[in-house]
Amino acid sequence: MNITRRRMGLLLGSSILFTPAILRAEAARMKAFEGTTLNLLAVQFGSHAALWAQVPEFEAATGIKVNIEYAPFENTREKTLLDMSSKTGRFDLFTVDIMWLAEYAAAGYLEPVAKYIADPELTAEDYDVNDFVSRVFSGTGVYNGTMYNVPFDCGTVGNMFRADWIEAAGLKVPDRFDGSFTTDKMMEICAALNDPSKGQAGYVTGPQRWFWGWMFTPLMYAFQDPAKAGNEFVNEAWEVTINNEDNLAALNFYLGLKQFTPKDDLNYGYGEQLAVYQQGKAGGSITYSGFIGEHYEGPGLDIKGKNIALHSPIGPKGRTDPFFGSWGLSISVDSKAKEAAWLFVQWITHKERLRKACIGGNPAVRHSTFQDAEYQAAQPWGAKLYDYMDKTANPDERIRVPEWAEISEIMGLHGNRAWGGEITAEQALEAMQADMTGAFKRGGYYRSGAQNPKQLWRDLSYYDRKPADWG
Amino acid sequence: MPDALRTAPKVALQNRRWFPWLLMGPTLLILFAVGIFPFGYSLYLASTNIILSKPYLETYFVGLEQYQYLIQDPDFFNALRITLIFTVSAVFLEFWAGLGLALLFRRQIRGKALYRLAILLPMVVPPLVVGLIWKYMLFPNSGLISYYANALAGLIGIAPPTFLNEPGSALQTLIFIDVWQWTPFMFLILHAGLAAIPAEPYEAAEIDGAGAWRVFWTITMPMLKPAILIALVIRTMDAFRTYDQIAVLTAGGPGNSTETLNIWLTNLAFRFFDVSKGAALSLIIFVLILVMSTIFIRILSRTRIDEGE
Repeated sequence: MNITRRRMGLLLGSSILFTPAILRAEAARMKAFEGTTLNLLAVQFGSHAALWAQVPEFEAATGIKVNIEYAPFENTREKTLLDMSSKTGRFDLFTVDIMWLAEYAAAGYLEPVAKYIADPELTAEDYDVNDFVSRVFSGTGVYNGTMYNVPFDCGTVGNMFRADWIEAAGLKVPDRFDGSFTTDKMMEICAALNDPSKGQAGYVTGPQRWFWGWMFTPLMYAFQDPAKAGNEFVNEAWEVTINNEDNLAALNFYLGLKQFTPKDDLNYGYGEQLAVYQQGKAGGSITYSGFIGEHYEGPGLDIKGKNIALHSPIGPKGRTDPFFGSWGLSISVDSKAKEAAWLFVQWITHKERLRKACIGGNPAVRHSTFQDAEYQAAQPWGAKLYDYMDKTANPDERIRVPEWAEISEIMGLHGNRAWGGEITAEQALEAMQADMTGAFKRGGYYRSGAQNPKQLWRDLSYYDRKPADWG
Repeated sequence: MPDALRTAPKVALQNRRWFPWLLMGPTLLILFAVGIFPFGYSLYLASTNIILSKPYLETYFVGLEQYQYLIQDPDFFNALRITLIFTVSAVFLEFWAGLGLALLFRRQIRGKALYRLAILLPMVVPPLVVGLIWKYMLFPNSGLISYYANALAGLIGIAPPTFLNEPGSALQTLIFIDVWQWTPFMFLILHAGLAAIPAEPYEAAEIDGAGAWRVFWTITMPMLKPAILIALVIRTMDAFRTYDQIAVLTAGGPGNSTETLNIWLTNLAFRFFDVSKGAALSLIIFVLILVMSTIFIRILSRTRIDEGE
């Protein structure tokens, strides 16, 4: 008893003695870059609003001014790359989509961040890097063994369906990951909900040429033979494999959905297809899980509470798309205030700030957020993705190569032509194969002695290392 | 005579030789910075293989390979074909609509100034804003035009118009929007041209008993020729380079059915960041515009010689 009392006394004494010192050190750390101005180029997503809304709090605590310039999603890559390649360091920070990480990192435009994470002068003691979901942290930030990008948003592509319409049609409403939502089931639901006499389409998608990279890829994966996993886009020798029987089946399935989509949808992008669904003119639509809170279950929407968020359908050979989407914060290699920029990154991606942002609509990336009751209540569809993001999602579903943006454009151009009936599915795949081969050829993949990136999608254990291990 | 005075004229002569250059210096400097240097730099870029997003690739001199690649690419001819269809159709329609309005405004109309202001309004709106306005009006189902067009089509019992969502109708819609915006420009120039035609030839024609049709073809059109040519030169160059509206409304789609040379150039240079191919294509476009303007200028100067004779 006496010993316990003595221990308690020691603890109390040391707390009284050291707490002010710790607080003073923390305050000094936060004020180390007072007067600095940081410029951030951020993608304009409503789901990130609650995150950026906390910036004034950072400015007050540190005396660092943060200017945020927002770019629409469709212009983000162009704007980012133009700024990066000019080497002016006008922007200290960028929001980076996982699908563009390889392109920016391979070009040497991003600052490696492991050294900052390990620096106690720059990173809060309770930052708890291992609280990030391992696969999300590694998948979002690591390229070629180096950590560049700290996640603040992750999710997957899936389908939203009108649960009330499915019930009214006498069908059982599937649930995400319950195994019942197959490609056949999807076709059955779309057919049942399609009623042109009421101006009601069974499904709506965005077949515009700029959207195939994320709207068609999930179906492409669903139809692949599991025995050929890893060869979806290229084989181990980097020969393009997109023109194969499984992809033909996938493309024909996608084109088959056209019988249930609005007749004038050839140039629909995400915005158009969303508007049609929101207006109650389609029974199903494709979406990214991070958009559900704002676009489908947002306040004031007539469709709020009437939807079921499903994953991409399971294909005829039992395969499901392992889509992995995420956004992170990266520091420009040309920034003149890299340490101040890191101070911001670690502050805004701290578990407290992310928790607050996620309750306000931002997708979760940390274990603590996924497990938080308030977050689970605010975004039940997001909470359901916890296991999937940790164990199933493949960060290289859209293969991590600097050529991805070009590959996506190639798929879009020929896919859209097939959707419009200008060419057949076979011709579209042939054209994709030829153009993608050209893109890899220009990228130098077939030159003798070429140092091509590792095909990490063949062994996902690479992405399962604990976040702290990347230091 | 002191030495200083003996050398004075020499100094003045030297000064006279340098003084004009001194005066022209700033202009020449600006001309070099904004005209000659970028042109020379484009020539340099087009002779290399630089991809901005891949600075790690070895850069080397490729001679005329980029031009060869572009000219052999079927996308080039597709983009050229679409650009020509867009330019010729838009300028043709704008010319006749502008001329019709200009002829109409020669008459005494009540509230003429107000109508003129209303006609000129589209021209003062920036092309990017024009693109956005029409994008919202043509937005599937809920856009102002789409909504009423669909309702009307339903009443008549025909298929609803597709506007920007079919390859054929997308290009036609873009041409229509260009005509909507730029007919006022044609109207403005032709209206001024008509006002400059003296009354005497018309009076003589009236005495001779010439009909309206004959007066139009033998007096109005020949005397309006310089104004017509100026309007056509400016509009053709402009329509050939149209970018903003197409980028906002279709971005070259559906497929590549509205991908003009400028849209293709932007894709090459700012989506694929292949600045060497982008530079080569911009030089090809430059040559095309140069050829077109030379033809127009020759016709224009011939017209002036004819007038002089």
